[in-house]
Amino acid sequence: MPGGNSTRRARLFSLGAVLASGALVGSAVAGSAGASTQRASKAPITIGISLSLSGDFSADGIAFERGYKLWAADVNAKGGLLGHHVNLDIISDASSPVQVVTNYQNLISVKHVALTFGPFSSLLTGPAAKVAHRYGYAFVEGAGGAPSVFALHLPNLFDVALPVEDSLIPFAKWIASLPKSARPKTAAYPTSNDPFTQPQLPVAQAILQKAGVKTVYTHVFPAEVTDFTPIADAVAASKAQVVLLGSVDVPTVSAFIQAFAQQHYNPRAFIATAGPDQGAAFVKAVGASNTGGVMVPNAWYPGYRNATSKAMVSEYLKLYGGSASDVNSDVAEAYAVGQVVAQAVVATGGFNNQKIITYLHSGKTFASVMGSVKFNSLGENLSAAAFAFQWQSGKYLQVIPTNAPGSVKALYPKPNWGA
Amino acid sequence: MGTQLIHAVVDGVLTGGVYALMAAGLTLIFGVMDMINIAQGILVVLGAYLSYVLSVHLGLDLFVGLAVTIPALFVVGVVVEWTFMRRLRERERTAMSILVTYAVALIIEGVLSIVFGVNYVQLHAWYVDRSVYVLGFYLPYIYLFGFALAAVLLGALYAMLYRTRFGASVRASLQDRTAARLVGIDVARVSTICFGLGVAVTAAGGMVFGATNAFNPNTGYDLISRLLTIVILGGLGSIGGALGAAVLMLVLEDVVSVVWSPVWSAVVFFAVLVVVLSIRPVGLFGRSMARAQ
Amino acid sequence: MNGLTPPTAGASRAGARLPGARRAQGVAWLVFGAFLIAFPALFTNPTITSIAVFTLIFMTSTTAWNAFSGYSGYLALGHAAFFGTGAYTLAVLTTDLHTPGGYGVFWFVPLGGVVASLAAIPVGLVALRTRRHTFVVITIAIFFIFQLLATNFSFTGSSSGEQTPTPSWSAAGYNDRFYYAALVCLAIALALAVLIRRSRFGLQLLAIRDDEDRAAGLGVRVTRVKLVAFVVSAFSVGMVGAVYAYFLGQIYPQFAFDPLFDLTIALMAFLGGLGTLSGPLLGAMLLEPLQQYFTLQFSAGDVYLIVYGALFLVVILLMPRGIVPAVTDFVATRRVRRSNLAEQVALGQGGTQEVASGPAVADQVQAVPGGA
Repeated sequence: MPGGNSTRRARLFSLGAVLASGALVGSAVAGSAGASTQRASKAPITIGISLSLSGDFSADGIAFERGYKLWAADVNAKGGLLGHHVNLDIISDASSPVQVVTNYQNLISVKHVALTFGPFSSLLTGPAAKVAHRYGYAFVEGAGGAPSVFALHLPNLFDVALPVEDSLIPFAKWIASLPKSARPKTAAYPTSNDPFTQPQLPVAQAILQKAGVKTVYTHVFPAEVTDFTPIADAVAASKAQVVLLGSVDVPTVSAFIQAFAQQHYNPRAFIATAGPDQGAAFVKAVGASNTGGVMVPNAWYPGYRNATSKAMVSEYLKLYGGSASDVNSDVAEAYAVGQVVAQAVVATGGFNNQKIITYLHSGKTFASVMGSVKFNSLGENLSAAAFAFQWQSGKYLQVIPTNAPGSVKALYPKPNWGA
Repeated sequence: MGTQLIHAVVDGVLTGGVYALMAAGLTLIFGVMDMINIAQGILVVLGAYLSYVLSVHLGLDLFVGLAVTIPALFVVGVVVEWTFMRRLRERERTAMSILVTYAVALIIEGVLSIVFGVNYVQLHAWYVDRSVYVLGFYLPYIYLFGFALAAVLLGALYAMLYRTRFGASVRASLQDRTAARLVGIDVARVSTICFGLGVAVTAAGGMVFGATNAFNPNTGYDLISRLLTIVILGGLGSIGGALGAAVLMLVLEDVVSVVWSPVWSAVVFFAVLVVVLSIRPVGLFGRSMARAQ
Repeated sequence: MNGLTPPTAGASRAGARLPGARRAQGVAWLVFGAFLIAFPALFTNPTITSIAVFTLIFMTSTTAWNAFSGYSGYLALGHAAFFGTGAYTLAVLTTDLHTPGGYGVFWFVPLGGVVASLAAIPVGLVALRTRRHTFVVITIAIFFIFQLLATNFSFTGSSSGEQTPTPSWSAAGYNDRFYYAALVCLAIALALAVLIRRSRFGLQLLAIRDDEDRAAGLGVRVTRVKLVAFVVSAFSVGMVGAVYAYFLGQIYPQFAFDPLFDLTIALMAFLGGLGTLSGPLLGAMLLEPLQQYFTLQFSAGDVYLIVYGALFLVVILLMPRGIVPAVTDFVATRRVRRSNLAEQVALGQGGTQEVASGPAVADQVQAVPGGA
């Protein structure tokens, strides 16, 4: 309608102009704001980190954040790193590779952080590490362990966690070591279409096949499927006596377990690559009566017999409440990253990234809440502990390796669903 | 293989019911109001969260809780339509609805994330894990109940559309908004109520979805593309079409998953959709639009 | 009517009638172009240039998308398929050919565009047989087919994705090379859009948008016109997908084929003004930096979702046709009113008479059947 709209349109025009110029100027300002210069020693140092605080990986991203913060608090309580107070600059990348690239550029070239820690997920670690590499920064991380990350051959990349491929080896070896009469005769290997899960199963499958376990089901399913029922039903129909499920999150495991329960299908052993390690979230999704006997590989657990690990767990509980089994292994991975970097800083006497990279590649072994850490030329930690855990009566217990301190006997065959 | 095939078909039919429940609201809104409701996925999740709150904090059974969640979502739908959709001009309705519903979806997702956090939850009840043994198959109770719920609600919607005067106005608006207005139908009011109904039915879909899947605020994104394709395949505005298409597609996917491989079942889903739509663009049960293209 | 009607020609013609406006437009474009070229020199901050690279990528994509969807009225929500095709072309070929990092890799960018265009031919042949909502859904379905194929074939690296070569450029000016590569892609996309708009081909597209059956009846080769526009729009999107792959250094199928990308470029075009030239550019320049800035500053991730969505709603509801048409209308109304007022004063008629400006009258005429 003509006439009375001129003032309204004038306002619209100015709104649009303000928005446009504001956005452009704003991003320029955002970029240049907060530049801190490093002066003489004893000034606080900042460590830059990008984490998935929203989006697909947010559950793990938040756990990582807690781990990093816990480490920083502990270090500062003991006088800081080489006397410097440690500040963490954590920004969110919304689980997006585009954002993660911008974030690390910002942290390194604008905020001038002294060091960088890695983000969450193999999907984001690659592009992020490349940015850090360009600037000569060491990139120690705990959540990018898929083969696709190491395939980049980046010299500055260090993963404190066990390489993802090897996660199922302890479980496979344990099954293979069972006496012939008790050993399962058939196995199913359903896996999600994901760089994290897919590499794990063939490794386990090779070990099991050599031990005489026949493969009766091996199929890949899309990661984005919203209905797992037919796949789970097909696994149930195969009547496999052991199931190795390649899952990335709780919903996948939960859907399979639910279908197995509905089909009254009770394999003798069941291990999922991720999901059962999520503590309370796993129990809530699956239902407490269904958790019994479910196994999951991991490089750490809250009951780990390690002094620093136990201290970290009690601190976590003091800060965030809950029970010990709620402490996610993400927390330990993040904490371990801090510990390894701290040891390198102390050994090289400063924050020179090049020296730190060289030192980390020198073949030395480091101590961490996850056990010993030693990097090979690709940045893989091959001396990482590898465990398998099992839920028993609502408790998350370490069962493999059977001779590890504090190891509990595994429930085999696993109790029926709903028991 | 034979039993597996039958099992796959049965699975498909039962799960198809769940999807039909989630898609029914979408086809109603789409058909009557010419609007693409991108927020449908997050509305399903919202329905699931509401059921979760009632179940966990008040101990209400999931189906009983529907007596609360369905009216609640009806109100949500009416409010959204009245506040935002009504302002959209006739000409660019379809295109603008994408933008507006996307923005609404973002807001709902943000609110859910703040209120509930990002950890996965799932709805639990005695019938979620148990199944009944029939003719050699274990049929999970939740899917049977869900399918029954879908039949009841979709039947009610259908009855409303074809047996009531209000339903006649809805169908008239579906065919030709201008003509409907000329006959004296208050198209705006009909639209608002329709939107509200569409969202209300989604509450039921959300409950069944939440009982069969672990969910968090991010889960909405995967759903919307599936729901859109089902609705188009079934034919805009056709409730029966939504059910038929949902069942058809789920059965197809499940059979391919068993016979060939799960990975290709999704590809087949979309490929069949493309083929069907190229041959019959109005969908399986759709009517040719009275409007000029 | 297919529900997609960009501002009528009346608006621009009202402006064009006045010679100063045309010249002013040309000058504005020149200044804008100069600004874009000088940008990395003006803002050396790598964070800003990083955001700028992604913004240029979106500007190119949404301009190319708009050149098809805006002019033809066919809402395609599957262009991410071509983005991903371009990205994978560069990634797969450079890996298989062991291309070293450096300027040489940029030759794969136009190749990515070409492969994307070739892929668009069968897609277009199938999808363009349908209309309106069916077309929208078919493009979405085809997009998912592309994504699933990339995730499952081993030659695309399956779920592990692909990496791209790492150039040995220093960190300081690293982003600039990608900035200019994307800028060249943008220039090409804009040139193509202008070519289409100002040609007879473009008129045929607009005729299809307004009434396809009548256009066909008048002798327009509708199938061919639509297909050509579709394939051309895929070209620029494919090129810029290749730039994206090279810039990130590693691509995974769910990111190279991202359904949100489709929504985003459509949103940007709508926000700026569908069917206009500057609209999509404005939309992209607003949304992309804004989103990254929000995430950077307000790391409380979920609040940013709410603010973003709310901001969005506010702008859409105030300017439903997009910013550029709203602005153009405002300017045109003011001009006509001013000249009419001058006329009235000259003729001795005082008072405020209701002035009917071009676009406003057209609005009223078309608004009548719909009712208020």
